[in-house]
Amino acid sequence: MLAVELAGEAVKARHGSMVAYTGQMTFKKLTGGGDGLRGMVTRRLTGERMTVMEVKGQGTCYFADQATEINLVRLSGETLYVEADNLLCTEAALHTGTSFTGLNGVSSGNGLFTTKVEGHGWAAVTSNGPAVILRVDKDMPLRVDPGAYIAHTGSLHRSLRSGAGWTTVIGEGGGEAVQVEFTGEGLVYVQPSERTTVGGDV
Amino acid sequence: MSYPPQPPYGQSPYGGSPHDQPTQPGFAVPPMPPAPPPPPHQPYAQERFGGPQAPLPTMHDAPRGPVVYDAYSLPANDNVNPYAFAVELNGSYFLQKGKMVAYYGDITFRGVGAGMVDRVLGQHFNSPLHAADWVVAQGRGKLLLADRAFDLNSYDLDDGNLTVRSGNLLAFDPTLRLKQSIIPGFLTLIGTGRFVAASNGPVHFVDPPIRVDPQALVGWADCPAPCHHYDHEYLHGVVGGLRRLTGIGGASGEEHQFEFIGAGQVLLQSSERLMAERSVGQVDAEAGVPVGGVPVQPGHGGNPNTPGLGNLGELGRRFGL
Repeated sequence: MLAVELAGEAVKARHGSMVAYTGQMTFKKLTGGGDGLRGMVTRRLTGERMTVMEVKGQGTCYFADQATEINLVRLSGETLYVEADNLLCTEAALHTGTSFTGLNGVSSGNGLFTTKVEGHGWAAVTSNGPAVILRVDKDMPLRVDPGAYIAHTGSLHRSLRSGAGWTTVIGEGGGEAVQVEFTGEGLVYVQPSERTTVGGDV
Repeated sequence: MSYPPQPPYGQSPYGGSPHDQPTQPGFAVPPMPPAPPPPPHQPYAQERFGGPQAPLPTMHDAPRGPVVYDAYSLPANDNVNPYAFAVELNGSYFLQKGKMVAYYGDITFRGVGAGMVDRVLGQHFNSPLHAADWVVAQGRGKLLLADRAFDLNSYDLDDGNLTVRSGNLLAFDPTLRLKQSIIPGFLTLIGTGRFVAASNGPVHFVDPPIRVDPQALVGWADCPAPCHHYDHEYLHGVVGGLRRLTGIGGASGEEHQFEFIGAGQVLLQSSERLMAERSVGQVDAEAGVPVGGVPVQPGHGGNPNTPGLGNLGELGRRFGL
């Protein structure tokens, strides 16, 4: 559960994620993810659907999503790439958009596109269980199960790494046939749980 | 006794670790690694959205940011948080399929039963066919394990034995040997080494004699006599008997327990939600082998609501009886 104290500012939150509030609040639905007409079109085209509302007012507003863990990410100019399903709430000053992830997104069962959050401020990211934050350095690449990946910041390159071979085909695979490899520098947020992915239990 | 003695409702599975945090009784808190700064207790609920004009605490110099782990600061063979476990891999390690979340370093995952690996395995897998659900991780690096955000705990066996529900076992040292228990749906680990098991809610260690709810049972160590226990008086009384025979009136759901007698320890989870059962392989049909040749039913032994005669099935419940 996330409590946001507002004194006239606005936050963008996922549609329907408010559970309670005190004081005066107005809730306005923002069409198309709240990034303007262009963003709306992109979202419609890319299928990275995200219904967002703008919450404005005085008081405390409580957000929650199915008792999942909430991780706060402080952005100071960096870009946060996050799966739309995992983005709960951002400050109004942050820009959201979509970015193309290519095949990597497909493997994690989240489509070809991911949501991009840019600017200065806080973003709240949900995860099934508290997220573990892993640093990636030049000499320290990280490989992540696509089902456990939720977000990353920094200048990271995502690439797909497949360990699938003939053994996978005959059902004796290693169970971790598809991994996402992160190289570069940045932080990767991983949840201690796995979504059902296309790769599944191969 | 070989299993590290645990205080009932044990504090830490590792015994008096200096990193133990004060905790409620009954909460098995894995010691956090000393290397990274302790997670500053960020009061989630009171985090204030300061607006763009608020000063930005940078993540690098501020101790209030969340803990960031890298290949060096990840704990070695210890919990990162109650739901994630880090393994320092140098050689090989066995894990259940699909439990790897992330890793640093150079690690390959191979299904058990595939080619080269098979020879190494002979001595670790002494059971019929369940091996297909296991993966050997080989190489060097740090490996992060997690399972549906369930609580993970690691246990040290010192020349001991521990039997655990098949779905709960996540990973184990290659120094341990895995065998299929005579009791269907359970696996037994024998030897010296560490293994990781998942539970829904923290695990409690209880000394027998004890009767436990079938769904809350995770496993037991060194325990000679696990058996079924039915509430005889109730089932054979007039009311209970009628209910059992007709299915009308429903069951309290607690007529059937597992009873443990003898020296050892019983591991309970703090909820009655079962982990998905892993197929442990089919035992050959043979006289004298329990459920030989019969595939193990998922959720076996846990349903007290199926009396033999005149079961009205769902009807009883539908009519609110």
